[in-house]
Amino acid sequence: MRRWLWGLVGVAFGACTALLELVYVLCAALVLLWPRSRALAFRGARALVELERRRLAHYFGSSHADQPDGARALQYLALRGLVGLLGGVLLLLLGYGAVGSVVEFRELWTSPHPLEGRSSGEKFWLTVYLAVFCAVMGYLALAGLIGVSSLDRALARRFLEPDRAERLQRRVEELSVTRADVVAAIREERRRIERDLHDGVQQRLVALGLLIGRARRAGDGERTAELLAQAHQESQEVLRDFRDVAWRVYPAALDAGGLHPALEALAERAGMRVELHYAVESRPEIEIEAVAYFVVSEAVTNAAKHADARIVSIRVQREGRWLVAEISDDGAGGAVADGAGLSGLARRVAALDGRFTVDSPVGGPTVITAELPCA
Amino acid sequence: MRVILADDATLLREGLARLLAEEGHEVLAAVGDAPSLLAEVDRHRPDVAVVDVRMPPTHTDDGLRAALEIRRRFPEVGVLVLSQYVEKRYAVELLTGDSARVGYLLKDRVVQVDEFLDALQRLADGGVAFDPEVVRRLLSTGDRDPLEALTPRERDVLDQMAQGRTNAGIAAGLHISQSAVEKHANAIFDKLDLPRATGYSRRVLAVLHYLESEGGE
Repeated sequence: MRRWLWGLVGVAFGACTALLELVYVLCAALVLLWPRSRALAFRGARALVELERRRLAHYFGSSHADQPDGARALQYLALRGLVGLLGGVLLLLLGYGAVGSVVEFRELWTSPHPLEGRSSGEKFWLTVYLAVFCAVMGYLALAGLIGVSSLDRALARRFLEPDRAERLQRRVEELSVTRADVVAAIREERRRIERDLHDGVQQRLVALGLLIGRARRAGDGERTAELLAQAHQESQEVLRDFRDVAWRVYPAALDAGGLHPALEALAERAGMRVELHYAVESRPEIEIEAVAYFVVSEAVTNAAKHADARIVSIRVQREGRWLVAEISDDGAGGAVADGAGLSGLARRVAALDGRFTVDSPVGGPTVITAELPCA
Repeated sequence: MRVILADDATLLREGLARLLAEEGHEVLAAVGDAPSLLAEVDRHRPDVAVVDVRMPPTHTDDGLRAALEIRRRFPEVGVLVLSQYVEKRYAVELLTGDSARVGYLLKDRVVQVDEFLDALQRLADGGVAFDPEVVRRLLSTGDRDPLEALTPRERDVLDQMAQGRTNAGIAAGLHISQSAVEKHANAIFDKLDLPRATGYSRRVLAVLHYLESEGGE
């Protein structure tokens, strides 16, 4: 009921704006004869379109996001004005009928000389006839009003939203960008892997070889034994490094058990306090899991490396169609979304049509959220 | 000898420093980035600087650029460059200009402790030390060793070259005219397929190749 009343108010308001718009369109049509004042006329038209957009959003809860150019805006206003005017006429009819019928009934039953010499039986039938007539007319007027409001919205869709071809074109543009971004992100990851191998594993291996080389050159047995012991220790470090790099390249747990065990392992290896709240019933698709994992992993690494965080909290849950991963830390904040690591993540998320936000005021806390669409 | 080490991997830097100390050399400084390397070289003027190609600030070829700068500003300081990969470009840049006292080794070669120490020694003595892999790539020869195509006389000339003699010196040593030496030299360069138009010294490359196959002096 409230929605209905609200809609009526919307139509009434629309009728008022319709008058304004029609007058404006007529004036603008005259003004357009002077090319110089064209821009001004268009600007006014766009302002009125904005007013309409707000009215539609406010009373009918429909949003139309596109901004038409000046000529198209004027076209829309002209058509919309006619529809609004129709709505106004219908409202007036409804009001007139309601008031008129009330007056009729009162005349019939309360006036001292109602329709001279009628019997009360006749009065009764007249009343029934009138009531049916009012109901039918009222219904027609209301149906008309519904028609007006849906016409109103159809026009808005037609003029204030991109048409199918345009939507497709935008989608294609968007996809080209995300595709290029994904390629760049993958290249970036590969570079990081290469660096991990060289600056970590290979350096350790060379150092290990050096130790063994020194052990072989050392003259006395004691020194040799000592160097060999060091080399042995070093070889275990190399192995640990190697495992870490392999894990960073691709956490095997993702394939085996999915996101949850992979994140648990990540939390264990983080070297800081990590609280994991994982509330997803069924396993999402592997692509989604992989991206979610990399987002969390990168965010935790950043928290440890750059923000000096003590506690990191990871929340993963489903919200309707979305898988939402939120990583917050109590670190120094000041993370920038277009920094090297984070922008790579943003690209990966965008490639799946997801949403990625970084909220990191200086002084913390940092909250990174990735929302990924699930089937 | 007096050495400065520059490598951003702490572990390796320490390892090298220990090795050199055990061998009785003096490690004047061990640094982890290009700017401090230049500062230390300027301060100590070592016999040799051992430089990793990939170092901070940019982690690309800062080390190599520092090495080239050392060659330019302190020609008396030998430079031994260590690299993860054989980069022909780096080798060429190092060989351009005055190519004594330069070396270019694959980083992994450090594990062959004897070879590494030997390379350092060669630099300190005013020679060159290039990784066999580097030489192979620079000469980009096929399977056959082009040295086999040289006449005995040409081999003699190349041998003299390898000992660092000038054309005049070689002419005197072999009792032939200087123009004959030049003719032999050109024949050698042609047979070794050393392009004329390159910026680096064909002479050095020829020598390198010779040393490589002869296994040292």
